[in-house]
Amino acid sequence: MSKYIEKISRLFRIIKENGGVLGSVRTVFRMEELKTGTLVGEDELGNKYFHNPMYFVGRSRWVVYSDAAGHDYDGSQVPAEWHRWLSYISDETPDKADLPKYPWLAKHTENQSGTPQEYVPYSTTRPKIQAWKPKTEEVYRKHF
Amino acid sequence: MLRLWPLRQVVSSAGARFIPACQKSTAPEPAPELVEVFVNDKQVFVEPGTTVLQACAVAGIEIPRFCYHERLSIAGNCRMCLVEVERSAKPIASCAMPVMKGMKVKTDSPVTKKAREGVMEFLLMNHPLDCPICDQGGECDLQDQSMNFGSDKSRFTDIAFTGKRAVEDKNVGPLVKTIMTRCIHCTRCIRFASEVAGVEDLGTTGRGNEMQVGTYVEKMLQSELSGNVIDLCPVGALTSKPYAFTARPWETRKIESIDVMDALGSNIVVSMRTNEVMRVLPRVNEDINEEWISDKTRFAYDGLKRQRLTTPFLKDANGQLMQTDWESAFLAIARKLQGVEGSQMAAVAGGLVDAEALTSLKDLMNRLGCETLCTEEIFPMDGSGTDFRSNYLMNTTIAGVEEADVVLFIGTNPRFEAPVFNARVRKSWIHNDLKVAMIGAPVDLTYEYEHLGETVDVIEKLAGGNHPFCKVLESAKRPMVVMGSSCLQRSDGSALHFMVSTLANRVKAASGADAEWRVLNVLHRVASQVAALDLGYSAGVSGVREAKPQMLFLLGADEGAITRSDLADGAFVVYQGHHGDQGAQMADVILPGAAYTEKDATYVNTEGRAQLTRQAVTPPGMARNDWKVLRALSELLGVTLPYDKLQEVRQRMAEISPTLVRVGEIEEANFFKQAIEATKAGKTSLGKEPLVPPQQVLKDFYMTDSITRASPTMAKCVQAATEAESSVH
Amino acid sequence: MMFSSVGRSLLTVARQQVRSLHRTTPACSDKLFVHRDSPENNPDTPFKFTPQNLKTCDVIIKNYPEGHEAAAVIPILDLAQRQHGWLPISAMHAVADLLKMPRMRVYEVATFYTMFNREPVGKYFVQICTTTPCMLGGVGSDVILDAIKENLGIGCGQTTGDGQFTLLEVECLGACVNAPMVQINDDYFEDLTVNDMHKILNDIKAGKKPKPGPQSGQDHRFACEPKGGLTSLNTPPTGPGFACRADL
Repeated sequence: MSKYIEKISRLFRIIKENGGVLGSVRTVFRMEELKTGTLVGEDELGNKYFHNPMYFVGRSRWVVYSDAAGHDYDGSQVPAEWHRWLSYISDETPDKADLPKYPWLAKHTENQSGTPQEYVPYSTTRPKIQAWKPKTEEVYRKHF
Repeated sequence: MLRLWPLRQVVSSAGARFIPACQKSTAPEPAPELVEVFVNDKQVFVEPGTTVLQACAVAGIEIPRFCYHERLSIAGNCRMCLVEVERSAKPIASCAMPVMKGMKVKTDSPVTKKAREGVMEFLLMNHPLDCPICDQGGECDLQDQSMNFGSDKSRFTDIAFTGKRAVEDKNVGPLVKTIMTRCIHCTRCIRFASEVAGVEDLGTTGRGNEMQVGTYVEKMLQSELSGNVIDLCPVGALTSKPYAFTARPWETRKIESIDVMDALGSNIVVSMRTNEVMRVLPRVNEDINEEWISDKTRFAYDGLKRQRLTTPFLKDANGQLMQTDWESAFLAIARKLQGVEGSQMAAVAGGLVDAEALTSLKDLMNRLGCETLCTEEIFPMDGSGTDFRSNYLMNTTIAGVEEADVVLFIGTNPRFEAPVFNARVRKSWIHNDLKVAMIGAPVDLTYEYEHLGETVDVIEKLAGGNHPFCKVLESAKRPMVVMGSSCLQRSDGSALHFMVSTLANRVKAASGADAEWRVLNVLHRVASQVAALDLGYSAGVSGVREAKPQMLFLLGADEGAITRSDLADGAFVVYQGHHGDQGAQMADVILPGAAYTEKDATYVNTEGRAQLTRQAVTPPGMARNDWKVLRALSELLGVTLPYDKLQEVRQRMAEISPTLVRVGEIEEANFFKQAIEATKAGKTSLGKEPLVPPQQVLKDFYMTDSITRASPTMAKCVQAATEAESSVH
Repeated sequence: MMFSSVGRSLLTVARQQVRSLHRTTPACSDKLFVHRDSPENNPDTPFKFTPQNLKTCDVIIKNYPEGHEAAAVIPILDLAQRQHGWLPISAMHAVADLLKMPRMRVYEVATFYTMFNREPVGKYFVQICTTTPCMLGGVGSDVILDAIKENLGIGCGQTTGDGQFTLLEVECLGACVNAPMVQINDDYFEDLTVNDMHKILNDIKAGKKPKPGPQSGQDHRFACEPKGGLTSLNTPPTGPGFACRADL
């Protein structure tokens, strides 16, 4: 019986932590998950990292993406140093770990595939079809 | 040279004194008896005069050959067709030997086999062993026949190749590549050039081991049919320059299709590899192209890879055409069309459009309330105009030329407007003593003709019966009058058409031609015209000019018949087609379509014969089959067309005109009398200008439509032909 | 050292003697069978039939039935060559135009026959036969050829600097009985000795016309009769009844 009481009370606690019923609905809608845990840190993008050893390993660390990302969040928005903690490579959070900092380290960028900024390697083969390019406006006026 | 001293000239010069031998006896000539021949002890009966090779073919035995070709004269110089004949001291060359009664031919005897091995040994002695780098590899007669009939071992010991013959290569233009060391002197190319193509530029020079096939002087092979020597060459001596080193025959897939470069609809095979057209070859169709195709048909395929429309385009706020997707292009059209009356719209179809797309466009525009649907190519619409099919078809049919005895060309240059047809006329001129006359600018047709004049008044005189040539036409048993579509582009086109129809009817009545013989013929220039007229398009863009529409739909119209100045200010122009040419440049929205190798489509040739192209490759990029584009557009415009499948489009076509779906057949049209009666009312006066076809010399032939204009090979041809004009040789 | 060099030279000699049975010797003509424009031979080389020759052409063409004018191409090409000395491409074009036949068909004939000279030749075209009978007969054609070379200072296929003589080695000219022989333009000079050859050439150089036919070399023969008098038919003909039975 007490087992059930504990579960129900945890549910209420989670709902409360997530900002009430409305907040919980919003979280479920966005994250498809409702969890409780301790905030262990936040990166420069605004992603919050949580930890709760109550869940089994693999689910015990999670990230709540920055609100700026809205619904377009994805795994590549996690910076490399937090990825280290999030994927159980290390138990130390980046602020605790003494991570080396080099001047040549690039700033983290998320995966650009599917966006206009995506990287496309240039083709080394001759295209089979040469597409037509419209003449510019000036030439067009002159021509007709 | 080939038509020496025709019988007709004897008759005309000898006059009344000449009595033909056949008139001496009134008894009917006895039917020729069939000759009995035994081929490998199998009895066959053949006509007298048949060659041994043909008799063997009747018996189902194919004799190996290099120089013999069904459509060329017999040379008998390769000796590959040697067979043993009983009671003959030596093996005989079967291609040149007529059969004799009771002849016993042995095609499998040791003598025959040894003869073939010997011939093959001699041929290979001076033939380079370069099959791995030879473009003929895989489709080489010499390769195949040396495997089948050659010796199984070699006696050739000259491994240092000190004694092998080597011949310098010739430059005969940008289409045919020559590697003359491979030549085995079959002379097929020479015979083709002089007999079929009518250019006596090829020949043999020198003698014996030094003999060469070539032009002696450096000279372009100035023929519109020159590519056929590539197919004829049994070895790799003459190969295709644009196709050189690109593909092997066993790598390609062959798709049987139809050509759209002229209105004949020559049957072709499209060779495809990795979604790319590698080459175009002819396909035998005795009714249309026999086995020849023109150089434009064969070599313009590289135009399908350049200047292509691969995405829809939409004009942005700055008036620049920008690439976009289908949805935005369709939406832009739908938005613009809101509030535009059907009477303010117009559509123009170009020369390369298939019947399915024409049907869809017509249905779409009609549903929008628009009735102004035109073709770029003009055809007289006055009087009976296009109401009778016989008014705009080549009624005698292409093969019908072989039955005709007099042909009168009016305002056309068939050599460049329909090269394969011209070859057929030349064939009749050589073999059937066909008499040819011509009204229009004097051009080289590769055969002799009587030039009656350049101006229209000659037609008037002929139609009135007071011209000396009338006598020839009236005495003809099967006369033909061929009017070029190019001469109907003039302002007095309808009067011209009426005059020629009158002439044709007069000639038919005066000559003793039977009722089924049709005299009047129209030789079209573009592949889509007959289908468009069948579907009820009005020919010529004068309707668009009168209407000054707000919205213009160009379906592959690239000849520049309509410019912005013909439209209302700020008119909205949609272009749908496969090449970026004049039409695309003036458009506000561009919808990419498929070219003829990229769709299953129907084309109707100048005879009125519907034929199907087959899809060989996929349309490039986002381009789609034209009728599908129109079907999708109709949905966004709120007038969904009632067909989703090709079969349903064709059903709709059959509703409009059943001839469009009777593939490969000709529907006879014979309403000349009614046509002329209906026309009498709308007669306009004839102009005075001479009839000058637009394609007069070879360099005019190569670039005539959006595909050929995009083709680098055709550009090279134009350049070479221009240079050849000023060449001293 | 010496043995090896002897051995090597023996091998070389042997290799030259042994010829593979199934190998043709490269017997290439020194003539080109394609045309290349050169300053003296191009389509603009002036050539026009003289009025006299045009009349001759008419006569030749009339030998053939109407419609078969092309059959006259060989005699008319020959006429053109006689007029011009050799046959430039412009002359072939003139013949083609005259006979109304395609140029290629004229090229074919002109390249087939070796007696049409498509390259310039000297005023005196010396053709020496070096085929076997001439090589063996009389003094042999080898010494005659050497004599010509010495006299004219040119080799085979060459023309003298003044354009007077061209020397060519040819195959049998059909005068084997009177070997050795040379043909200079249309004349045969037969039964030659080295002295005869020098005399003929010197006469021509001096502007004289040497007597064609058999020369001194073989006892001043009249024509091709046997050298040592008749060997057959040298008795009076027998009368009727010769070698017949007496009772006939």
